Parts: sequence; C-alpha cells; structure tokens
Amino acid sequence: MRKARRVLLYVGVALGAAAMLFPFLWTVVTSITPHGTLAGGPTLWVEDPTLDAYRQLLDAMPMWRIVANSFGIAIASTLLQMVTGATAAYAFGRLQFRGRGVVFGLYLATLMIPLQVLVVPLFIEMTRLDLHDTYFALLAPSITSAFGIFLLKQAVEGVPRELDEAATIDGAGHLRIFWRIVLPLVRPALATLAVFAFMNTWNSFLWPLVVIRSPELMTLPLGLATLQGQFTTEWDVVMAGSVVSIVPIAIVYVLAQRHIIAGMAHTGLK
Amino acid sequence: MTVTTPPVEAAAVAAAPAPRKPGARTRRRRTTALWAIAFLLPSAVPLVAFTLTPMVGSLWVSLHDWNLISPMEWVGLGNYADLLADPETRQVFWHTVAFIAGYLPLVYVGGLALALVLNQAFRGRTFFRAAYFLPVVTSWVVVALVWQWLLNPSNGLVNQVLGALGLPQPGWWTDPTWALPSVILASAWKDLGFVMVILLAGLQAIPGDILEAARVDGANAWQRFRSVTLPLLSPSTFFVVVISLINGFQVFDQVYVMTGGGPGGSSQVVVGQIYDLTFRYGRAGEASALSWLLFVVVLAITGIQLRVQKRWVTHA
Amino acid sequence: MHRRTTPHRSRLTAVAVLGLALTTMLGACTQGSASNDDPPADPGSDSTEAEQVTIRYTNFTAEGGHEADLDAIVAAFEEENPTISVEVQVLPYADYFTALQTAFAGGTAADVVDLNYDNFVTYAANGVLAPITDVPEGVYAQSLLDAFSYEGQQLGLPQQFSNVVLFYNKGLFDAAGLEYPTADWTWDDVREAATALTDREAGVWGDYQPISFHEFYKALAQSGGSFFNADGTEATFAGPEGIEAATWLVEKSGTVMPTEADGAGTPDYDVNLFAEGKLAMWHTGIWNFTRMGETEGLEWDVVVEPGNTQKASALFPDGVAVTASSEHPEEAQLFAEYLTSSDTAVETRLAATWSLPPVADQSKLDAYLEVTPPENREAVVESLDAVVLAPVIERAQEMQDIVTEELGHAAAGRKTVEQALTDAQERVTALLG
Repeated sequence: MRKARRVLLYVGVALGAAAMLFPFLWTVVTSITPHGTLAGGPTLWVEDPTLDAYRQLLDAMPMWRIVANSFGIAIASTLLQMVTGATAAYAFGRLQFRGRGVVFGLYLATLMIPLQVLVVPLFIEMTRLDLHDTYFALLAPSITSAFGIFLLKQAVEGVPRELDEAATIDGAGHLRIFWRIVLPLVRPALATLAVFAFMNTWNSFLWPLVVIRSPELMTLPLGLATLQGQFTTEWDVVMAGSVVSIVPIAIVYVLAQRHIIAGMAHTGLK
Repeated sequence: MTVTTPPVEAAAVAAAPAPRKPGARTRRRRTTALWAIAFLLPSAVPLVAFTLTPMVGSLWVSLHDWNLISPMEWVGLGNYADLLADPETRQVFWHTVAFIAGYLPLVYVGGLALALVLNQAFRGRTFFRAAYFLPVVTSWVVVALVWQWLLNPSNGLVNQVLGALGLPQPGWWTDPTWALPSVILASAWKDLGFVMVILLAGLQAIPGDILEAARVDGANAWQRFRSVTLPLLSPSTFFVVVISLINGFQVFDQVYVMTGGGPGGSSQVVVGQIYDLTFRYGRAGEASALSWLLFVVVLAITGIQLRVQKRWVTHA
Repeated sequence: MHRRTTPHRSRLTAVAVLGLALTTMLGACTQGSASNDDPPADPGSDSTEAEQVTIRYTNFTAEGGHEADLDAIVAAFEEENPTISVEVQVLPYADYFTALQTAFAGGTAADVVDLNYDNFVTYAANGVLAPITDVPEGVYAQSLLDAFSYEGQQLGLPQQFSNVVLFYNKGLFDAAGLEYPTADWTWDDVREAATALTDREAGVWGDYQPISFHEFYKALAQSGGSFFNADGTEATFAGPEGIEAATWLVEKSGTVMPTEADGAGTPDYDVNLFAEGKLAMWHTGIWNFTRMGETEGLEWDVVVEPGNTQKASALFPDGVAVTASSEHPEEAQLFAEYLTSSDTAVETRLAATWSLPPVADQSKLDAYLEVTPPENREAVVESLDAVVLAPVIERAQEMQDIVTEELGHAAAGRKTVEQALTDAQERVTALLG
C-alpha cells in the first residue's frame, strides 16, 4: 500500500506543479500569439504562433544593453549581500558582545520602513552626493540586506559550536573559523539568499525608476514598463518581456538548487 | 550566556599562580568586540548610509506637509494627530492585519507540506521544486489576472465548483467583503514556493540519523514529525514567521494590481495608502507619518517575537 | 560531520574575488555615466553665445512605440539649432508622475517636461513652471492653448490631443435592420438602439461606456450640469443633471453592458469585445483607431458622441512645460515650441499616426482625415466644436478617485445613485478647502 500512497502523492504534486506552471505558460502562449491579449481568459492554445512580439521587443529598446545592466546590478548585489550578510551573521551568531541584541534589532528595523517611503529621501541624498544617475546609486540600497543577514544568522546558529571549539584548540582565530568551518556549513542558506537577492534586485522597479535618468543605465523592469502606453498596450510584447524577465531568475534558482541540497551526506525523511 | 573556555586556557588558568582573571576576561571581551566591529562593518556601513539615513530623513518629512514639488511646511506632530484621529487609518491597519491573519497560516502550512514532500527523493524532484518556485518570480500582473479569472464571480472555476457543491458563490474581488480574501488566496498561492525554499534549506540541516534513531525507537511518521522535525525546523519557522510578518505588514504590489484597494477602499492596506498619499495625492508628510506608525507596530511585534523565541526555537 | 573541502572552497574564493572585481568595475563605471550630467552652468549663458547648451526633456507621450518618431523630431531640432542639444528620457505614463515628483523633490527636474491636462494645474499652482513668453499668434488652437494657461499666465504649450467618439459596429446594425448613429443622436436614441442590439445569449452587448470620473463629468456636461459652482468653492454635481448623468452610466451595467463581475474593467476587455464584433456601440478614444483598423472583418465607423440636452465631447490634451528651475529657459522654450508646432513635428506625428497636433490651422490635419478606416474621421474634428475639459483642482487625483469610487458603489447596487452622488459631492467639496 506504500506504493499506492506514493503514486497518489506523486499525482498530487504533479497536479499542483501544473497549477503553478499555468500562469507562466499562459504568459509564454500570449507572447507567441499574434496580437495576443490577456482578455478572454487564459488559454494554452495558439493558432499561428509567431515570434513577432520578441522581434518588436528587440526593436523597441536596446535589449542587450538593458539586460546587461540588470544582470550586472543583480549579480553584484547578490555577491555583496552574500559577503556582507555572512560576515554580519557570523558576528550575530557567534560573537558575544555587548548590545548584540540591540544592534540586531536595529538591523531588523531597517526592514520595517516601506521602500515607497524611503525612495524620496534616498533620492535626495543621492542628488546631494551627486551620485544620482549612476550604477552605484542603482546598487546602493541593495548592497546589504537585513533579510539575508537574518536568514544567515539562523543558519550560523545551527552550526554546532563544538566545531568552533575544535578549531580553536588547533589555534584557529575567528577568520579561520568563519572561512573554513561556518561558511561551508551554511551553504544552503547562502544559496537561498543568493536566489532571493538576485530576484529582488532583478525585479526592482521603483528605485531605478526614480534614480535613473540616462537611457544607458536603464534596467529591465523599467524598460518593460514603457511597453504599456498611456492608452493602449501591446500585451503580446509585454508578455514577451515578462518571459525574458523570468527566465534568468529561474536559471539562477535551478543553479542554486544544487547548493541548497548539497552539503549533507544524509537526507530524506523516509 | 556562556563563553566556552577552550581547554588550553582553562588548564593554564588552573596551573598558573592566581592570574588577574578580570583582566583576561576584559581583554577577551574587548578583542571580541573588535572582531564584532570588523565583522559587522561591511554590512553596517551601507545600512547606515543607504537605509538608516533615509529613514531618519523620512522621520523629518513626517513632521512636515509636503507635496514633493514645493518646499516642505512644518506641522510638527500634526500629521500624526490627524492620522490617529482618522478612521481610515484604523481601517487600513485592520485590513493589513486581516491580510496577515489569513495569509500566514495558509502560506506556512502549504509551504511546509510542499517542503516535506519535495524533500523526499524521487524522480523529477528538481523540476517540481522549480515549478513550485515559478509563481514567486512571475510578475503580479500575470498572477493577478489568473486569479481574477479563477475567481470570476459569474463563470470562474472556483465559483463553478462552489455552485456545483451547492455552496454560496461570493463576488470575490468585486465584493467589498471578499476582495481582501481574494488577495489573500492569490498571495498565499504565489508565495508557497518562497516558504518551501526556506523550509527545504532548514530540513536539509536536520541530520538524517536523528530521524532514523527515532524511527528505530518506534515513533511513527506523525510522532517523528512533531517531536523531531518540527522542533529542529523551528529556526527556519521562526525566520519565516518573522519575515512574513514584516513583509505582510508592508504588502502592496498584489493589492495595487488586483483590487487597487477597492471596491470602495475595502481592501486598502497601509502601504497602499502610503503610496497613494505620496505619489498620487501629494501628501508625502502624512505618508511618512503613517509609515512610522507602521514601523512602531512592526517593531513591537518583532520585538515580542524575538523575546518569545527562546521558548520555542531550538537549535541543534 | 562530513563536509566538502578544497574544490568547493576554491570556487567560493573565485566567486568572492569575482564579486570584488565586479564591484570595483561598477564603481569605476559611475564616472562613465557622469558624462551625461549637464555641463557646469555658465554664468549668464544665453543662446546668443556660441556655446553648447544641453537641455533635458522628460516625456511620456512617445512611449509605447513612438520613441523613434520623437528622436526624429529632436534630431531635426538639433540640426536647426546646432548650439542646443537635447537629452530625452521617455518614461511609462503610469509611472511618469512618480518619477517627476521625485525629481522635483530632489531638484533634478528636467528643463522641459510633459504634463497632461489633469496634472497641469497641480504643477502650475505650485509655481514650478516657467511662463511661456511671446506665444506666436494663430499657431495653436485657442481652446488648447487656454487649457494650459493658469491665472492669466501661459505656463505650458499644448502638444497633442485625443478625444472620445462613439464607435459603432456596422455589421450588427445592418443585421438588426437599424439605422446607423448620426451626429444628431441623443441618449434616448442610443438607449433604444442598445436595448435592441443586446443579445445576451449570443454574448452581444449594445453599448459600452466605462463608469468612471472621466465619463461622468462628460455626461454631466451633456445634461447641462456643471461640476463646480461659478467661483469653484463648491462641487455641484449631485443635482438633477448629475443624477441623470450618473443614472445613464450606471443603468447600462448588466443591461446593455457587461458588469464588473463579467470582466468589464479588466485591461483591454472592451477593446477585445469590439474587435470580436460582440459590441454594437462603444464610447472610447480615437487612440483605438489603429487597432480596430487592423482587425480583419470588422465593419465599423465613428460618429460624434451623442449628447443629452446638449453635446459635449471629452478632450484630453497633453502639453509640455518649461520648469522654473531650468537654467536655460530660452532654449527650453525654443524646443517646446518646436516640439509642438513646427512643421516637422506636425508631419511626423501625423505620418506615424502618433497623435493629433494642437495646431489652429486645421488644414494641416487633412493628411489625418484622409486615412480610413474609419470613414467618418471628420467626427474627430467636429467633436472639437463642443468640448468639455476635465474639472481640475490642485487635488485632482483624489477627486477622481472619490467620484469613481462612489459611482462604483452605485453601479454595484451598494448605494442609490442619489446617495452616491451626494456623498461624492460632499467629499469633493472638502478637498477644495
């Protein structure tokens, strides 16, 4: 009977996955439908599939430049968040120092004011520093993230301290312990952070909208938004843009999956 | 708060003739403090420069009336007084709380179930994990449309099923009572993958031998789950709960896209109100004040959770 | 505890190094884009001196497909004025004002900015627009020019306009043996035809008109009502004319028009309904000409929108303004004028079926009028004879939201029309204080 339950589970999971894939498939279908629209409900059928929408997308804007910009910023912020996150997580998870709780609380507090409110003061700050309309300004709010630090802190605290102690006996200092012991063991959390950091920076819209002026700096969400006109919208092109936008994140996720799984010899709850 | 003294130093302390212990400890504490600063610096500098500074800026703005295009006008605590007196403030907070109350259990239980199932080894597991994560990265425009189609009051799938079962068919996003639940359902569905990914990482950290040992001891699946898995998963659960609360209080995109806060403001949430006030109504001062009211609420709740965590969060 | 060792650690190192390298590169790049900053302001620079002046222009009218046309106009301007170069930033309309307001807040607003009619008053009232001096006579259509003046000062120039007409499906009228709508039609005629043409079983609807602020003030004008009182201190739209107008809109939902629950209001719902031949009459803007023209098998035409006791057609002008903070107001105005009224601009806009230029000389629109479908493009120009502009106040957006919200309550049956209008009127009057 185990087998029957397994089959049932498999079917359930497969159905659920189909439901999850459905919106994305609809996006793809709309993007290859001539004059595709979103009205009339989702369909998975397309009569004369065409790549027109993608061609229009390439014509409408310098896609390569835009994608390169988005990619560069996303990768940079992902790496920076991993580095700044891991170091901070080590401090919070391993080092006892006075006021640790307060400082961590302060870190968390930075997550509690909505971006919509921070955008204007941050923009003014950038203009005062004469940094607006630069790659650095685009990157600045995403260099570090308390979200990632929190995630990594939980992971660091899960690493048994006996390992630290063993290393200390061998004469290792904090840097060694951090680099050789703690960091490798929090790989799943690091990979998870990488996925979210990449995704959030890749999709970020409000800040680039406000801080960019030169077309050379344009990022993908911004570029795609210009496809929706004041009165009319070419939905097939918009959907083509969505597809282009989703694929890299999906790839990053799949690549990260390996690191999220790996690291443990024993898995499974059977 | 224990600092494990490495055996070497302990032996040295025991052997040496009465050394100046307080000095050693203070020195150690100072070294640790220096290390802490070193490790915190890479993250502290950007946070202070690019997040804390604008936060202080927004606090300053909250004490003014400002439409962004003309210079600010000082009103002191006037914005706060107005907001606290305005019934609409209470409404948007209430809607936000209602959102979280519906969203969090759904997304956690669903995400946990997914993580448990997809933690087992079977063919195509990677594909399924990617499939369940896809909605997380799909834009809200598309997801909102799918759900509006699903929840279409006259011919949507959901209402057709409800009708067939003889149950009432609500007006979903066209009905003030059901607009928020529509957003909740769509949000929980979209974020299942997010919770799944976090909990999967947490499940990975549970050593298989502990579970084996429990099984050998005669614990059945449910008992293993309750006594071993859940407690060892508690750090990840804690993370999910705290982050979901912080994010939930700031929910915006889906409400904006699905219902625009309507009908008649029945699904308007705090950040939706903040956005409207700032960019559509030219009342940035009030918006900032509202966001600081929100801040206080979220800080308090998070603070409580951080305190309470010692009671239920266990580490390996 | 089993753990991976060297191979994966060196990968981590590589990644970290790469990250640092990338960051340094990006840091270096910040200076690269600084080349786009304006050259330092020369003390007392005028266009009379042979120095290079750069002005910036933020635009939304060109988005969604006409960026190349805008570039053509800009290039032509730069050729005729070699000392002036224009940096253009095209933004999506939906987010344009978010970016614009933030730019004002940070002091980085461009020299020349697009503004639509609805938002113009807000900026004008706050004194951030520079007066346009010496407007050439007889170049712009007077009504459009007036739309962008504020308290006696010309603070903007009209750039383009769209209006709303009645689209109708000839095939459906023929099949039912009904006469096509004419310019003399009134609401009663529309009502009659719509009821006759609605066939719910076949999914065919008689008349689609959105239930929103923009339709309401127009219907109000068509009934002879006025939105505000004479000195603008009170809203007056909840009177009998307003009730008639609101009822006209609200009663359509579910009778001759799909309800919100059916999908009305979702993006492009009405566009698709008409394109599929399932809609007999449609109140919408001329921006849909191109799309309907491309739909095969659709026989359609347009006519001036029917009035009630009088005619009133909605007009949506978009304009352009020079910001008060501009360091080169003369060059900016030169560009603004060129963008809106030069022959190059007019021809480019028409040739690309981009938008209608705001010129007084209507013979320049001939090229536009000759394109078919629809046959009766003259309706576009005829509609300009009786025009109603949106009521605008400083808190325009809030007012629009309030009216649309209350009408929504009425349409859904949650409030009576009278109650909804009274509530809306009260809330809008409160905004005036």
